[in-house]
Amino acid sequence: MFILWYFFLHKLTGGMATLTRQDLNFGQVVADVLCEFLEVAVHLILYVREVYPSGIFQKRKKYNIPVQMSCHPDLNQYIQDTLLCIKPLIEKNDAEKVVVVIVDKDHRPVERFVFEICQPPLLSISSDSLLSHVEQLLRAFILKISVCDAVLTTNPPGCSFSVLVHTRDAATRNMEKVQVMKDFPWIVADEQEVHMKEPRLVPLKSMTSDIIKMQLYVEERAQKT
Amino acid sequence: MDELYLDNIDEFVNDHNKIVTYKSLSLALGVHVNTAKQMLYHYLEHKRKESSPQLHATYLVTGKFVGNGQTCHKVSIVREDQLEDFKSKMNLIVSVHVYSVQKALLKDSGPLYSVDYDAVKDNLKNCSKYSAIRCAGAVPMSPLELQQTLKAQIHPQPEPESSGTNGGTNTTSKSNTKPQKGIMGMFSNKSAVKNTSNEVKPEQKEDTTVVDAAKSKPAAKANPMMNFFGSQTAKKSVKPVKEETDQTSSSSEPPQRQSPQPCETQDSAAAQHQKDSRSKTKRVEDADSEEEKMEKKKRRRIKRPDPDSSDEEVIPDSPQPKESQPREISPKKEKTETVQQSNGHSGMKVRKRRRVLKSQTYLDGDGCMVTEKGFVSESYSESEDDFQAPKPAQREPFKAKPNPSNKEDDKKSQKKAPANSNKGAKQASIVGFFQKK
Repeated sequence: MFILWYFFLHKLTGGMATLTRQDLNFGQVVADVLCEFLEVAVHLILYVREVYPSGIFQKRKKYNIPVQMSCHPDLNQYIQDTLLCIKPLIEKNDAEKVVVVIVDKDHRPVERFVFEICQPPLLSISSDSLLSHVEQLLRAFILKISVCDAVLTTNPPGCSFSVLVHTRDAATRNMEKVQVMKDFPWIVADEQEVHMKEPRLVPLKSMTSDIIKMQLYVEERAQKT
Repeated sequence: MDELYLDNIDEFVNDHNKIVTYKSLSLALGVHVNTAKQMLYHYLEHKRKESSPQLHATYLVTGKFVGNGQTCHKVSIVREDQLEDFKSKMNLIVSVHVYSVQKALLKDSGPLYSVDYDAVKDNLKNCSKYSAIRCAGAVPMSPLELQQTLKAQIHPQPEPESSGTNGGTNTTSKSNTKPQKGIMGMFSNKSAVKNTSNEVKPEQKEDTTVVDAAKSKPAAKANPMMNFFGSQTAKKSVKPVKEETDQTSSSSEPPQRQSPQPCETQDSAAAQHQKDSRSKTKRVEDADSEEEKMEKKKRRRIKRPDPDSSDEEVIPDSPQPKESQPREISPKKEKTETVQQSNGHSGMKVRKRRRVLKSQTYLDGDGCMVTEKGFVSESYSESEDDFQAPKPAQREPFKAKPNPSNKEDDKKSQKKAPANSNKGAKQASIVGFFQKK
C-alpha cells in the first residue's frame, strides 16, 4: 500500500499539492494505510496482553521492524473481515474511534484499547518524506503497544476480544442497508461493552501528521478479577 | 562522572516508559557506548537498592559455546532471569554487559530492535560516533564513487577477487563469517535467548581478514540445517552488494521467503555474467573463474565436494539442499567442459550435444497440457535423455530468436541450457512423468 502511495505522489509535480476528501483515490490510500496498521496493532495487542497463547504467533516484518502476527487462520480471517468492513467508514471519515475490547469470561470488559482517528478535511501533501514520516510514527505506536505491559495490570485468564467502531452521525444506518460483507453482520454494541464503569485512563501514544491524527489510550477496569 | 545521568535514565524508563538500550542511551546523551553500558549498570544497582518499582533488564553475553561437537563464538541477548542459566551453558564467557533496561517484561526481542532502529535512523550520519568499533578505511563514499559503484553493479565487470578491493574483501568475509555468527545466534537456546545478528554485523563489517572458505565448509556441513541458513545468509549478503539494500532481519521467516527470489535474480545475473565473460580474453577469464570458484564454494556447502569441475560457469542451484542435485550437476559440468574446450579431448567422456527440433508436452500451472516446439540441446547419451530434454525446451522458445548460427553463440546457448536445465532439474521428476506417456 505504501508503494501505491509512493507512485501516486510521484505523479504530482513536487512542491505543495492539495487534495480534498473527494479525491477518493487518496482517501483509499489513507484507509489502506490505517487498516494495515490496525491489523498489526490488533495482533500485537492480542500477543502482548496474552489473550491467546503466544505459540500461535510468529514474527513478521512490518515498517521494517519485527512484529508478532498470529498464524491461526480463523483468527486472521476474523480480523481481516472486521477491518474490511471498517475500511469504507475510514475512507469517508465516518469512523471516530476503533476500539479493541478485551472481555473476561463473564463478558465484562477489562480493557479497552481505543484508537481515536481524525482526518483533516483538507489534505496537503508536501513531499515524499510524508511516507517515511508516517511510517516512523506508526512504528512508535507499535513500540508503545509492545511495552504497555508496564502500565497495565495483568488480565484474568480466559479473556477474549471484540472490535467496536464508533461512527460519526448515522453512518451505521448505511452499513446496515449495504452489507459490506456477506455473513459478517455488524450489530449495535452492548452498553456494557461500550462504557466501562470508572475506568482508569492510561494514555499510550498520539501522533499528528498531514494525513491523519491518531491517539491511542487504554481504559482499564480498576478491579480486574 | 556526575549523577545527572541517573535522573535522565530514570526519566526515560519510568516517566516515558521507554526501553533504554545502551546504544540509544549513548546517542541520546552523547557518550561512548562503554560509558553508556556502565551507566545502565549503575542505574540498575541504584534502583534495586532503593527497592523502587520493578525494573527488567536484558544482557548481552558473548563467548565460546560448544554445541553439536563444534565450537562457535556466540553472541546473545538474554533476559535477566535466564542469565545465570545461560552463562553456565557457555564454555568461556568473553563479555557480559547490560543491553537494555525497561519497566515492562519483554516477551520477545522485537521491541529491542525497534528502539535501536529509530535511534540509529535519527542519527544516521554519526551513528558510529560513539561506537567502540573502528575502521580507518570505512569512510563514506563521495557521490562520484557511489555512482561508479552503482554502474559497476548494474553491469558487473569481472574483477579479480583479491584483497585489492576493500568492498570485495568485506563481502567475502561477511558471507563467510556471517554463517558462523549469525546462525549460531539463531540456534541458541530457544526458550530464553534472543538473536543479535544486528549486533554482530557491525563487528563483521570492520573485519578485513578473509576467512578461508574451506574452514567454513566443514563447520557448516556438519549440520545440514545450518547449511540451509548459511547458504541463505551467504546469498543474502551477496545480494546487498549487488543491489545496495541493507536487509538485516533477525527472524528466520522473512529470509526464507525472500531468498528464493534473490537466488533467482542472482542466478540469472550470474548466468548473464558468465555469458558476457566468455567473449573476453583468457586473462580475464582466469580472474573470472576465480570469482566463479568463490561463488561455487559458497554454494558447494550444500553439495558434495567436487574438486575436479572448476573453471566453469556457476550452475545455479536452489537453496533447498537436495541430494539428487549434486549428482546431476557434476556430470553436466564435465559435459559442458568437453564442449567448451577444444574438440581434441579424447580422454574425456564423449558426450556431445546436438540441436534437435522436438515438441515437448508438459503440464503448466493451470493444469493444462502445453505442447511446445523448439530446438533442444540434447545429449547423445540415453540415460539422461528424458529429464534433460524438457528443461531446455522450456527455455528454447525464448532463446531461439537471438541465436545465430555462430559458433560462439552456440556455446552461449549450450551454456545457457545447462544453466537453465538445472532450474528444471528440480521439476524433472514431474515433467519426466508426463514425458513417458
